[in-house]
This record gives sequence, structure tokens and C-alpha cells, in this order.
Amino acid sequence: MAPISNQLLQSIGQELSRIPTDQEDLTSAAVQLNAQADGLLRLDDLDLLNVEPATVLLPPSEDSRGAR
Amino acid sequence: MGLDDLTRLSIVEAGDQIRRRSLSPVELTRAYLNRIQRTNGEFLAYITVLEEHAMAAASTAEHEITRGNYRGPLHGIPVALKDLVLTRGVRTTCGSRILKDWVPSADGTVAIRLHEAGAILLGKLNMHEFAYGPTGVNPHYGTARNPWDRTRVPGGSSSGSGAAVAAGLCAGALGTDTGGSVRIPAALCGIVGLKPTYGRVSRAGVIPLAWSLDHVGPMTRTVADTALMLQALAGRDPADPSTADVVVPDYRAALEKGVRGLCVGLPKDLFFERVDPEVRNAVLAAAQLIEDLGASVQEIALPAISHASAASFAIITAESTAYHEGYLKTRAAEYGADVRARLVTGQFVLATQYLKAQRARRAIRAEVDAALTRVDAFLTPTTPIPAPLLDTRELTLDGHTEDVRGWLTRCTRPINVTGHPALSVPCRLTVGGLPVGLQIVGRYFDEATVLRIGHAFEAVSPMKGRWPPEVA
Repeated sequence: MAPISNQLLQSIGQELSRIPTDQEDLTSAAVQLNAQADGLLRLDDLDLLNVEPATVLLPPSEDSRGAR
Repeated sequence: MGLDDLTRLSIVEAGDQIRRRSLSPVELTRAYLNRIQRTNGEFLAYITVLEEHAMAAASTAEHEITRGNYRGPLHGIPVALKDLVLTRGVRTTCGSRILKDWVPSADGTVAIRLHEAGAILLGKLNMHEFAYGPTGVNPHYGTARNPWDRTRVPGGSSSGSGAAVAAGLCAGALGTDTGGSVRIPAALCGIVGLKPTYGRVSRAGVIPLAWSLDHVGPMTRTVADTALMLQALAGRDPADPSTADVVVPDYRAALEKGVRGLCVGLPKDLFFERVDPEVRNAVLAAAQLIEDLGASVQEIALPAISHASAASFAIITAESTAYHEGYLKTRAAEYGADVRARLVTGQFVLATQYLKAQRARRAIRAEVDAALTRVDAFLTPTTPIPAPLLDTRELTLDGHTEDVRGWLTRCTRPINVTGHPALSVPCRLTVGGLPVGLQIVGRYFDEATVLRIGHAFEAVSPMKGRWPPEVA
């Protein structure tokens, strides 16, 4: 896999998130993203087919006064 | 007892004397304020000192106690807050230039709970800017110094909390922990720090770093003091929907049960790979001491933990950038360079990567939960290395070079991903005189067992009663 470049990040930033960045920030971002890229891909090694994200909000079912 | 001696008392000791009316909260608060005035210039632990407020609150506490209205073991105890806990009428900078003049109009829940318990607020503590870094290096307010060696970082992001407690500049403090920010400064400064279970302590009125990883926790000089502070903080808060309606036990009562009959795990996975030999030996010696006290110790396997770093990266970068997006678009130049660079990175994390990380954390948590059906808790180093020098950017160990932030958070951030309670207790000094932290991780909402093990170990630890030489 080719490393993530400053130019790619600059394009994404300008077109999508529109957060102003300078080259130093982009260089640091590229270093961080490249360092984590393999680890993020390896998350596929976990069996996640039937796993919902931890952010899913559960409906309130019970409170201290009993079932709603 | 001289004024300086009063700042050596633990919360338990000072609280007992206040209850018996042999110690005045006014005298105790004055002792801390004198010490802050004399030495905060060396340690840079406080951003804001509330001298008048603290003396007025101490006087009120003294009157209440004299009239027989004793609130409990924190009544009249001087404490301090990391400067991201909102305080009504008192500026809350979050260690940033962006919020340098911000004065909130309401208190955070944890500030309210400590106030209701009768604690005296001494001031607001230094921190890594916006809590986004484990060193505590701060370009805006200066970097808080490690009381064991002022050429080294105290650890972060709750750097001022670690330095203030270790240097005797408050009896206890609050920190927050998104990847280790309570436990890392606790370990590096030779004090006790607890990251409670996610949902145990309210985050309402605390400036977030990453909502789904943030925890608020106490930092003190003894485990019993941490138990007392947790008692005041724990419990459901309607203002924070992530808090759980789970019974809060009597933490201090649980401390005295000892460890006989408990089974403690030692994970051989990531936690003991590429660890400074002095740190490894200190933690293994601590495990032996705990076994000598009557617990059984067994190896456990946690292979999925190796995925926690990547999951943590995706979650923390995406959530923090989402929170800071407005400031990034309008006031980017006011961030320190290291924090801005990390915040910029979050815009490039894909939504699918973020959600995969949030799914992975469930799988990782399930594995840790399963291990914790076989053992009552497990032990790891809190950090693989002792406190680095102030200007350290990278470190090499066993031929592996990594950013200092990666080194410092390796053993702590997996536990933010899973949400389990984790305590750091000082366990030894290195040959160079730097503290090493032992991390004790327990079952969901079972802080009582984690504290119980920590308390039993503390009684036999070579760090018992040790103060930094520069403070002593």
C-alpha cells in the first residue's frame, strides 16, 4: 500500500472538511496515519460480523422504579 | 505540628483530626496555600490559585463542624481540580490559550459533589492543552515539573494534578483519563490514581477530549484517600447519560479485607513486551508481594488487546476533531503545535474506520470480561518506562523506536477502550530514583476489589511513605 501523502490529505481537507491546515500539520498527520494504517487494517482480524458499535444507544428499559 | 507537616497528612489522617476537632480546616488550608505560594513557581502545578475563596470556604467548614454539622471525611480537606472541570465564576482554561479567559457560569457535577462533601477548592491545575497528550508539556502555561526530578515530565494529561499531589500542594486532586491521563501522571509522580469504570463518575461539566473514552478520576497519596474521593464522586448523574444506575458500595470498608483468596492475573501479551527492565522487575516483584499476602497469581492471555491501540487512535482522533472543529476553523493558530497537529489528523479518519474501532472495542472488552471471570483482577505496568526528560520526543528500547506518546500510553489506553476500572499504585523507585507504577485492572463497576488489592499492596510496598527528595 502506498503511503498517505501530504497532497492527498490537503485535497481531502480542502474539499471535504475545510479545516485550514499548513504543511507541517499535514506532515504530522501523514506520519500518524501511516503509523496506524496497518493496525487499522488488522482490526479486520477480529470477528466483528455480529458486533454492533459501542456507540449504539440502548432504549431505556428499567429504572429504579421498575420497568417503563 | 508545623505548617509544612500538615501538608504531609493523608486525607484519612487529616479528616480524622478534623472530625475530632484537633485540626482546623483553616489551619490546614493555610498550610497548603503557604506551600503553594512558596513552591508553585518550581513545579508549575497550578494555573489558578484561589486563595481568598479557599480561606473563606475553610472558615465556613470550620463553623459547620464546630456547630456539629460534620459532612464526612472530606469536610475541610483542601483539594484541587484539573483545569478542565467547569467552575462557576472561576476561569477554566483547559490548559489552552483559546480558553485563557473563559469563566463558566456553572460547576461540573464532580466539582459540585466535592463541594457538597465539604472539600475546600484550592485552585485549578495545569494540564496538557485540551487534555490531548500524555507528557503534560504545555506551551501556554509552562510544563508542570515532576517533583522526583524537575528535569522530567510529570506525565499527562493531568500533569498539574500529579505534580501537586506528589509535591504536597493539595491533599487530593481530580484528573481526567482518555488514554491514561490519570494513571500516567500518577505512575510518573509516585502517587495513586484511579480511572473508574466508564459510567461510574459523571463527566457532565468537564470539557471533553473524546466522549466515549473520557473518564474522571481521583489522584491522591494513598489508596484509602482515593477510596474516600471516589465515594464522594461515584453514582448516577442525570446530567450525564453515560453514567450508570449501579449501587455504590462502601469503598473504604472494602479496603481492609486483604487479598487472601483472590486470584490475580498477569497478562503476558502487549503489557510486558518492550518494557524497561527496571519497570518489568518492579511489577513482577509487586505481583510476588501480592502473592505473598495470600492471593494466587496466574498468567492470562489477552491477544485481542493488541488491537486496542489502533481502535483507540481512530476513536480519539475522530471524536476530538469533531469537538474542536469550530475552533480549528476559526482559531487554529492559537493551539500549540503538537495538539493542533493531532487535531488536524482526525479529519482524515474514515467514518468506517471509526465505526470499526467502536465494534472492535466490544470484542476487546468481551475478551477482557472473559479473562476476568477466571481472575478477580490483573496486573500490568502502568507505563513501560519511567518519567522521560522534558524534551524527549522519541525513545528507543529493545531496538524499537517510538514517539514518547506511544510509549507512555501503551499499557493504559487499552483500558479506556474497554472501560474497565484501573488503579495505578506506586511500586518501586528505579536506580535513578524515579517512581514505577503498578496498574491493577478489575471487573466492571468493581472498583472495590481494585482498591482492596492496591491497599493491601501499598502496606508492604517499598514506596510506602516515600516522598520525592526535593520535596522532603
